[in-house]
Amino acid sequence: MQPHGHEHPDIPEPEDKPPGYYEIMEIAVRELLIEKKLIGPDEIRRQIEVLDSRTPALGARVVARAWIDPAFRVRLLRNGRAACEELGISFYDDTQLIVLENTAAVHNLVVCTLCSCYPRPVLGLPPDWYKLKPYRARAVREPRAVLAEFGTFISDDVEVRVSDSTAMVRYLVLPQRPPGTEGMSEQQLADLVTRDAMIGVTTVRH
Amino acid sequence: MPESQDLLKRLPTDLGGLTAEPVQRTEHEIEPWEKRCHALADVLDFHKIINTEEKRRGVEALGAEIISKASYYERWIAAFANILFQKGLLTPGDLARKMEEVSARHGDGRT
Repeated sequence: MQPHGHEHPDIPEPEDKPPGYYEIMEIAVRELLIEKKLIGPDEIRRQIEVLDSRTPALGARVVARAWIDPAFRVRLLRNGRAACEELGISFYDDTQLIVLENTAAVHNLVVCTLCSCYPRPVLGLPPDWYKLKPYRARAVREPRAVLAEFGTFISDDVEVRVSDSTAMVRYLVLPQRPPGTEGMSEQQLADLVTRDAMIGVTTVRH
Repeated sequence: MPESQDLLKRLPTDLGGLTAEPVQRTEHEIEPWEKRCHALADVLDFHKIINTEEKRRGVEALGAEIISKASYYERWIAAFANILFQKGLLTPGDLARKMEEVSARHGDGRT
């Protein structure tokens, strides 16, 4: 084993077990693309750093800001991507972001029935269940039953609205601010906001 | 078994509205090669070599059997290879030779 320092000049590959068939394919495709100068030698490592920098904490900051700043909330609902960029959250892809606001009358839920489209710049990578058949198949057909499996029960007089993501258009749920949080700071509010609440499978609790 | 006309009407990744099992809230820590595969997808998109929709259709083109047996990122890397062949950017021979080289480099624990 190499000594573990704080610098990772090369892309890490596991050294203790031989790579499997698909990992060998990944290494081979990457090295061929670099040899043929179709991609740069450092681009994968730099993109891994970008991916590592994206976590639900970014989305939580956006939500908390929208709760405390009504003008920001309006801009966020008008153009999700521009409002996130205003907070310094860059979009490294060509996707647009539509922010769906939960209210006393509407609860929003986000799915990608065809694959796994997800607002990665603001939430990071999606959880496995978001990519698997049960959620993708059933969220559009019986959303209340799916929500119940997450312990979320939406009153019958509240409309449940399901949005199906595409390659170009991604969705983020703006959850309702829970009661009893009036005196909280922006950071304290952000700490309450979970990934699942921004997908819409849960609500924000205090 | 579904009839062929049912398979034609609904391609293997088109799942919306089907009946399915309860959601199991599974999550796993992404493996290093899976993260590299994800980064590769983004970099291929930046260079306008393979975009998200091409990637999705490339997975679809693997067919129902592979889709059901291969994992998420296994499907991605196989789709990338096929799309790169179709675009004439790599050849199957290039990939076979390179995979042998990578395998030999890692396989016996010596480099």
